[in-house]
Order: sequence, then structure tokens, then C-alpha cells
Amino acid sequence: MSEDGARARRAADLLRFLRTIQKPGFPIDELDEGANLVAAGLVDSLAVLQIAMYLEDTYGINFVVRGIDPGELMSVAGILDLIEREAG
Amino acid sequence: MTALPALREALRRMRNFHEDESLVARWAACLARLGPWISAGRRRLLLSLASLGLLVVSLAGTHTLPGENPASSPAMRTTLAIPFALALFALCYLAALRFDRLPAVVRRRPQVTLHLLFWVVLAVLWATPTAESLWRQAIAQFALVLPFVLWRCGYLLKSGQRGRAKGSAWSDHAFYLWPVWGGSETPYGKGFDYLVRSEAQSAEAFARAQLAGLKLLGLAVVWKAAVALMRYLVWGDPDSPLAGPFDGYTLGIPRVATLISGASAAPLPVAWLSVYCDLVWNTLKLAAVGHVYIGVLRLCGFAVFRNTYKPLLSESIVEFWNRYYYYFKELMVEFFFFPTFARCRVRPWLRTFLAIFAAAFAGNLYYHVIAEQPRLVAGDFAGLWGTYHPRVFYCFLLAAGIFVSMQREQKRRGQSAAARGGMARRVVRIAGVWTFYGIIHIWGVAGGASTFGQRTRFALSLVGLG
Repeated sequence: MSEDGARARRAADLLRFLRTIQKPGFPIDELDEGANLVAAGLVDSLAVLQIAMYLEDTYGINFVVRGIDPGELMSVAGILDLIEREAG
Repeated sequence: MTALPALREALRRMRNFHEDESLVARWAACLARLGPWISAGRRRLLLSLASLGLLVVSLAGTHTLPGENPASSPAMRTTLAIPFALALFALCYLAALRFDRLPAVVRRRPQVTLHLLFWVVLAVLWATPTAESLWRQAIAQFALVLPFVLWRCGYLLKSGQRGRAKGSAWSDHAFYLWPVWGGSETPYGKGFDYLVRSEAQSAEAFARAQLAGLKLLGLAVVWKAAVALMRYLVWGDPDSPLAGPFDGYTLGIPRVATLISGASAAPLPVAWLSVYCDLVWNTLKLAAVGHVYIGVLRLCGFAVFRNTYKPLLSESIVEFWNRYYYYFKELMVEFFFFPTFARCRVRPWLRTFLAIFAAAFAGNLYYHVIAEQPRLVAGDFAGLWGTYHPRVFYCFLLAAGIFVSMQREQKRRGQSAAARGGMARRVVRIAGVWTFYGIIHIWGVAGGASTFGQRTRFALSLVGLG
């Protein structure tokens, strides 16, 4: 699968997951990939935990070594970049 | 358009003047004329130089400790303390810059190393005789200001850990280590990573940040006026300048601290009113101060979040915690919550529980203890315990409340807005949040000599017990 194809698949999986933790009444499909999820009102800042757990379980990312940087988990693009960097 | 909707629209426009596109464009055009003089790099350099000047002034203004030799020169002591502060900044900057080359133990635990350094400085002070040496006094003076920079240096090390400090200049960091926009031990605007992400890179973004800053400063004036009004109308402070205009009329509700200590008494409904008024008063005071810091920060070109954002409309305990004192919450989350969460890979609920208690209980207590620098430097542990033992219970209740609230919020996620109920349910939820924070504040309120027992008796009396 090409790099773009893999990213698109990961993005689709991520959006499916974000729908399960999002606040009610915010249209996730219209969200720009680079938009700040917290500022857009889609998730609260503590939902970052659930995103971190999702990344650990789905992509085996180990946050013990690198620490959790909330800035990286605040946008769909940031999360996808992190997956590409850490999960190869 | 009838008069009422027109008035409402005019008020909305006035409230959101900072989003008026024509005003933004005009303001941006003015800023664009200044060109390179206000580039992001130049702004950071100017802010850093101002910060260093402020550091010197602040150190000179630090009070001496009881028992110190009054004959020693304050100017000399300050002159000696300044290099200590600068050396700490330089050490943290170099560590962040070359994080990969640090010893493995420091790389794994940079924050623990930084805080150990603080405790070593204190240990040196406790182990050396007081009042004699000028060097000791200089170290003591440095120790008095250390808690102010400790968390800021922590953010700098976090940037190094994340690899973001590579290639940065000293002026990219000095401006937030001793910020000109002010603050407390809590770094308003956090550190390098967040500030850089929020920094305006164009004249338009700078204009937007500045207009949003002006709005916040305006709000600060409104909240300061509300605080002054409350001080007289609710608490009946006789020293208030409003005593004249209101012709002596006041509700005269006693403060929670005086009800706890027994200095005043009130019937049950008034005692409850006092609890809620104290919560509102504290929220307004914090909002007024935080809006000034964040307003100035936005004027400097950083479009950062507010410190306080409508906490009294929060519908859950965790939401209130997030909105009441945002930068303190962020500090607890980044330095205690996330590290605990990342390291403890146990069942999800237990993992969340441990992380919340690390932040809202242990981290919260630790933060407040090290902020008591005069007592710490003097080694006054009995005084520290006297002040903080009720807070242990406050932090426990806060952490337990946040954990329960967070679990409930997680279950609610993904629900439709309709499932959360109408306005009545919303009001009930808000009232629940007010009651929770009002009650736990009884053990958190700065009340001087009030003991845990006095506070608990007062809390029980509110529900008709005791």
C-alpha cells in the first residue's frame, strides 16, 4: 500500500475512533485535518488520554520513553504524523 | 428590526469587536508598517531583554528572612544571587539544547533531576548556620525565587525532551522564564512549545492576537469592578470605597473563613449563601488577574487560551477544573498526570485513577508546599504542616471528585446532545458543580489558623450535623 493510502486508512480509523469519544453536536466530518480538536470543541483536553490509549493499543506506541505531548494529539494531522514517526 | 434585537446585535458586536474583520484588517495594516521591527524573532528578543531586567529588579525586591544578619548589604546579596539564577537558566537551556547528550538517568527523569536540584539547594541552607555568611544569604535569596522559575524551567526541559529546543537561541526561552506579562509560580502561557505554537507569524495574526488581548484586558476591568462591588455589597467590607455611594447598604454576609474559625456566626441559609458567594468571589478574582496576564501575553503576539473561561457554567467537576485555572490544570496534567499515565500500564480505570491522584492530589499538594518558599527556606516544617494539613483533605476530595466526574464523562461521550437533557437538567448539573467546589473549598480556603477539625465541623453543620 502506498504511503498516501496508508495515511488515508489510518485517518479513517482515527475518525471512527474520535466519533466514539467526541462531545455531542460537533460535526467531525467537516473538520480540517490540521484543526485543533480541543479548540474546535470536538473533544475536551482530557480526552487526550483516550487518544493516547488508542495509539498504544492500535499502533503499539510507547509513551514511557517519549512522554505524552498533548500538542501532538490535538489535531488529526498531528496524530497521523505521530503514528508515522513512532509506528513506522 | 425592532429595538430589542437591534440592541442585542449591537451588544454582540461590541462584545466581539476583536473579530470584526474590517477592524482586524486596519489594525494589521498598521502593524505591517512596522515590518521587521515586530517580527516574531525580534519580539522574543525584546521580551527576553525585558525579562532579564525584570529578574534583577525582582531579586532586589525579595525580602530577607527572619534571623538574617541585617548589617549585610542587600545590594551585594542581590548581586550574588543574580548569577545563581542566570546559571540555572543557562544550565536548563543547555540541557534542553543537547538533551540527547545528557546522562541516561537525567534523560529518563529530567523533571526529577530539576526538582532534586531545588531540594539540594534547600538542604544546603538547612545544613549551614544562619545569619553570618553573605554567600548563604545570596543562596537563600536565590532559593526564595526558585519556585517561581522551577516549573518554567521544567517546560524548557520538556521542550528538550521532545526535541523541540534544538537550534533555538537563548532569546527563544529567556522571555518565558521570567515573563514580563507576570504570573505566579504557575506559568501562564506554559513554555516554549505552546508559546511557539500560539505565536502570531503574520501581521494579521498579530492583529487578531492583540485585539483579543485588548478584549481580555477590558474583561479584567469588568471583573475587577465586580469584585469591588461584591467586596462591599456582599461582604460588607467597611474599608471599601463603595461604602459612600451605597449609603451603608450591604448584605453583610460573613466570609467562609470567619464562619469556620467561629469569628462570626450565621443561620444555615446564610452559611450556604456564604459558601456559594465565596466560590463566585474567588472565581471572579482569579479571572480578573488571569485576564491581565493573558491579555498582556496576547498583546505580545501570543494567541493563547484564557486562564479562566466561564467555569461557573461548567456542568461537570472535571469541566470546572479545566476552565477555572487552566494553566494550573495544564501544569498538573503535563508534569504529573501524563507521566503517571504513560508509566502505569494497568487497567484503564486504575490507570486513570492513579494519574488523577498523581496530579490533583500529590502534584497539587507538592506545588503549594514548594510555593511556600519563606517557610521552606527557613525550615519551618511545623508552620508548613499547620497551614497545609487541611489542604491534604481538600486535594483528596478534589482528586476523588475529578475521577468520578471523568468516569461519568467518558460514559457520556458519543451521546447525542438531546440525551443530556434540557435546561432544567443543565441547571441542576451546574448547581451540583457549585456545591461540590463550594464544599471542598472549606478545606482549601486560606484561613490562617483554622484547623482541620474546625473546617470539618463547619462542613458538617451545613448539612445539619454537628
